[in-house]
Amino acid sequence: MASPTSRRPSSSLTDRGERVSAARRDVEARGETFYQGPSGIHLAAFPPKERWDDWVELDSRSWPERKEHHYLLVPTTCFNCESACGLLAYVDRDDLHVRKFEGNPEHPGSRGRNCAKGPSTINQVTDPDRILYPLHRVGERGEGRWERVSWDDALDAIAARLRKAIIEDRHNEIMVHIGRPGEDGYTERVLASWGVDGHNSHTNICSSGGRTGYQFWMGIDRPSPDHANAKVIYLISSHLEAGHYFNPHAQRIIEARANGAKVIVLDTRLSNTATHADYWLSPHPGSEAAINLAVARHLIATGRYNRDFVRRWWNWSEYLQACCPELPETFEAFEGELARIYDEFTFDYAATESGIDAATLAEMAEVVAQAGTRFSSHSWRSAAAGNLGGWQVSRTLFLISALLGAVATEGGTFPNAWNKFVPKPIHTPPHPGVWQELSWPLEYPLAQNELSFLLPHFLNEGRGKLDTYFIRVYNPVWTNPDGLSWVEALTDQDKVGCFVALTPTWSESAYLADYVLPMGHSSERHDTHSYEQYDGQWVGFRQPVLRAARERLGEVITDSRQVNPGEVWEENEFWIELSWRIDPDGSLGIRQYHESRANPGEKLTVAEYYSWMFENSVPGLPERAAQEGMTPLQWMRRYGVFEIAKGIGAVHEQQIPADELRDVDVTALGRAYTAVPKPDGPNVVPFGAPEPDGQGRRAVGVQIDGVIRRGFPTPSGKLEFYSSTLASWGWPEQALPGYIKSHVHPSVLEPDQLVLMSTFRLPTQIHTRSANSKWLDEIAHTNPVWIHPSDAARLGVNRTGDLVRVQTDIGYFVAKAWITEGIRPGVVACSHHMGRWRLANQSEGIGAMMATVDLQHRDDQWSMHRLKSVGPHASSDPDTQRIWWSDTGVHQNLTFPVHPDPISGMHCWHQAVRVVPAGPGDRHGDIAVDAAKAREVYAKWLEMTRPAGQVSPDGLRRPKWLMRPLKPSGAAFVIPRS
Amino acid sequence: MSTVSSSARGHEPVARESTARWELLRALGAALVTPPPANQQVARALELPVFTGVDHTDAFVLTAPPHAAIHLGPEGKLGGEGLDRVAGFWRALGLVPPEDADHLGVLLMLYAELGEAETASSGERGRAQLHTARVALLHEHVWSWAPGYLAAVLALDIPAVSAWAELTLETLLQETTTIDPPDVLPLALRAAPGALQPSDSFDELLDVMVAPVRSGIILTRRDLGRTAAALGVGYRHGERRYTLKAMLEQDKPATMRWLAGHARSWSGQHLAADCGWPCDPSGWWSARAEATADVLEVMADSASG
Repeated sequence: MASPTSRRPSSSLTDRGERVSAARRDVEARGETFYQGPSGIHLAAFPPKERWDDWVELDSRSWPERKEHHYLLVPTTCFNCESACGLLAYVDRDDLHVRKFEGNPEHPGSRGRNCAKGPSTINQVTDPDRILYPLHRVGERGEGRWERVSWDDALDAIAARLRKAIIEDRHNEIMVHIGRPGEDGYTERVLASWGVDGHNSHTNICSSGGRTGYQFWMGIDRPSPDHANAKVIYLISSHLEAGHYFNPHAQRIIEARANGAKVIVLDTRLSNTATHADYWLSPHPGSEAAINLAVARHLIATGRYNRDFVRRWWNWSEYLQACCPELPETFEAFEGELARIYDEFTFDYAATESGIDAATLAEMAEVVAQAGTRFSSHSWRSAAAGNLGGWQVSRTLFLISALLGAVATEGGTFPNAWNKFVPKPIHTPPHPGVWQELSWPLEYPLAQNELSFLLPHFLNEGRGKLDTYFIRVYNPVWTNPDGLSWVEALTDQDKVGCFVALTPTWSESAYLADYVLPMGHSSERHDTHSYEQYDGQWVGFRQPVLRAARERLGEVITDSRQVNPGEVWEENEFWIELSWRIDPDGSLGIRQYHESRANPGEKLTVAEYYSWMFENSVPGLPERAAQEGMTPLQWMRRYGVFEIAKGIGAVHEQQIPADELRDVDVTALGRAYTAVPKPDGPNVVPFGAPEPDGQGRRAVGVQIDGVIRRGFPTPSGKLEFYSSTLASWGWPEQALPGYIKSHVHPSVLEPDQLVLMSTFRLPTQIHTRSANSKWLDEIAHTNPVWIHPSDAARLGVNRTGDLVRVQTDIGYFVAKAWITEGIRPGVVACSHHMGRWRLANQSEGIGAMMATVDLQHRDDQWSMHRLKSVGPHASSDPDTQRIWWSDTGVHQNLTFPVHPDPISGMHCWHQAVRVVPAGPGDRHGDIAVDAAKAREVYAKWLEMTRPAGQVSPDGLRRPKWLMRPLKPSGAAFVIPRS
Repeated sequence: MSTVSSSARGHEPVARESTARWELLRALGAALVTPPPANQQVARALELPVFTGVDHTDAFVLTAPPHAAIHLGPEGKLGGEGLDRVAGFWRALGLVPPEDADHLGVLLMLYAELGEAETASSGERGRAQLHTARVALLHEHVWSWAPGYLAAVLALDIPAVSAWAELTLETLLQETTTIDPPDVLPLALRAAPGALQPSDSFDELLDVMVAPVRSGIILTRRDLGRTAAALGVGYRHGERRYTLKAMLEQDKPATMRWLAGHARSWSGQHLAADCGWPCDPSGWWSARAEATADVLEVMADSASG
């Protein structure tokens, strides 16, 4: 070829390029993708969305014949863990069955990626043991005899009970207990429409400890770390395997690592996360806060904290006024105090507490010091859920972020409410006028969430009773500590009059129910979701995919039962229908919140509910949908998720616009109040609600250097290094980020005791919810006790697989030992999720995971022995003949007493145990419990509380500004005189 | 390496031309990266015949996979050192290397991205950096092997694929005229392992023949199939090295002579893609093929003797 002479493109190439540009513009204007990238032919790729109506794949089982399968691809959201990752259901066009689930590439959080649980949804849909029809108990509770009933009969019977309780002003005898959270606020609004304060959640056995530490800092109870852009990632959790939002977060942590970020993991156990760490620190359980404080001290002592950020955003003035009135109210004086307060937390001190050498801690702290504002961190369950005072683990971790100024920065940690969008719904009933003392007792005025796991004890003490108790995708007998107290309560009809289980699967709790009502899995129900997974906001849509598919094909579907297997339903339609039957003529004022807006007096449909939401409460969605000639609901049914915004940034720095400022009052500490009511925005994400001033003016912001900025939803408007709430509600010694020695601190352990950690799970399982997935069960089905070789030798446990007896304060369990250096000496660990069981008279169950047991009960003594392990069996699924495992682990939680933290209310899962080789009569899975001892431990922990009646500064049950799923109206907050 | 020279700046394409230029390169890359039917709208926009799935698979999956590692790596295989070098370039740009970091289609799309960013950049320094990156990409990772590869694709004689290859070659050749000629060969060629030697063992001969950067030639499965038929030897299905080994074992002199002729032919073909740079890779490739042909002729004579 000749040497070129021109340095400009030839006109023919330019013309051709222009024609390509024009074609691209045309295609993209239609909302389609011009450059589709690698496609389904490549394993790593996704089907382009233009072909979701007719995606063709070859049937692998027909090879070498090229037999095509044509699919409709319909998005939904995974229903297993809370990450809410996007799924694409492959709906076979020939018979309209779902064949498989893969990731939804349109989802900005999960970005097409899923863990094992996502694609395993197909197992849950086709589970041969699933519940397909409404069932009503026959005989005694737990007897295992059922009769199929119609939905109408079940609804009428339950509605009649509820109506009667409401009319008789027994609102507090109605409770709905939630396992997997659904749509933010949905169940709360149903209860509010009934005037009932009966929302109960599992959160105090899950994440309350972590949340409490964050809430006292920033008025928002979850962190949103921007891992992808961090320089240093500090995890006191298992975010590469099982932590909250682990799939969306794990992929971003891995990206950050590829860009050179350092990962620091504090985990006593060698978790999958720890294996990816640059610094894996295996501390003595409960010492994590001491380590955090040593890091903080290092930042302070070496002057490597973000001085301007601390000066502007911490409530240091309030601290000085309250605690050091003798000092001048200057930032320099505060800096002196800061150094003094944390001076004791040297690396040597932290080393003594944690068992990690001081040099390693110092090296790690230096890495943190170099992160600047690109320091992302997360503490969720783990240590915060394990220890007395565990909430200080997250509070001290956020102290590091706050010192570095790594708050709402790129690569830092955001308050979750800024990275979350909860669309305002069509109806918002007022909060109830009653206070549910069974879940919000006076002893725990600062509890982060409901004291759910103490319910059996409260019922036992006669604090109240329940007329109708719902569980929603929740298994309290199995999930909570002290599960046999739940069995006692749930089988006592004087305590629980009617027990309704809304569940897709059989569970240890559902066996005890009066009604078992089948609810759908991720591809069989409606909800919306939004979670903090990066600095952005998205709304995801879970939907019955066969409904969406058939609507795409032109059918009209008005009830999800028309497309779901058997008579499986969804909660949304169920609650609407139930509410109508409670209040058929609207006279109770309930029905109005479940009526159509378009056609008043008619029943609200989920189609109208979501149409209204997507049209009115999701900014940008109507416009985006219109570009493709769709309604917002059609667009969400088509793509499953909408990203509202990204790059939210530092909301606290936003200057308050002038139209929000009228009759402004700025306090001496800078809190700004305005007479302008709160603008009615579409995002109703929950966060703290600072109280108005004496004039009724709203807390609008905080004055920083003369400018009123949005600030944080705390009483001070700033980050609360000093919590006036803790100080004034009976805990002044805990008002600052500090270190509370755990109930398993070495100083309180007997020489023959070890610490049992049970706060982790195997990443392929999620509580009891995933056990009806055969693929997941095959991967993970047992939970041996991790024991360090040195402990094993000392205890006489010779080899992995030997049986050991683990003795707790109220009983023991027998499990297999796993001798491993992956656990710290002096600590043993046992994963939850395992040890599922059913009684011999309960023929229903989960065939691949539930062993058949004999449960004996005499007075306070309980014992459980395994009668039959799982094994191959006949069913509608030929794979159940291929079950090769028999060991399904042990249900250890039954032997755990309750340990409610007196401040956060969190159950403190760690416990001191004795481990001995199993005796001759011990068999794997054996359990023994003394219920009397369980009550003693409960009473002992209750003594640690400082009840509102003694410490409340204002006669209220709880600080009004703290978050609460339902917030009873004013008078209900007042402590009754009795 | 080049920066934006005053002469180049003097000929800066107008915005309209730039936009079209990057779009054309991106589309050529996308047509290759995306298998049919998803690439058909791109092919139509390029005014090219649309590929069928069979065409695309035959050309780019089975016969001539478009990966730099195959052409520049010492083993002539996917991955390894050849891929690492390209992946390192992505990382140097602060990008996470994609799965197919060295895929010609992906590289063309990256090139278009860099060009577009360069055009859009308002700062002199930023524009110069982007220009440097784009030039390095073209010189080190695309033009260092693509002409030979595209010639091999053209030799497949699949009409739709050939049309794409011709347009891509023309477009790339045009791109070489927009930068200052580099004064050194690409690193992969400078650091290339040695050429075939008369003393090499049979196994070494086989290794060299399937590694373009060692032999200077591209030996496709189709070349082997046609030759086996022409020579009357059995074609044994398997990887190319295995097939070639079987052919040599059946009729070494004839296969050797064919290989020598094939190499001689490639020597000339490489020169057809000379863009006029003083250190144009075509000269290096041609010389390497020539050296291979010389050695193969000696080996063929020895085998015949």
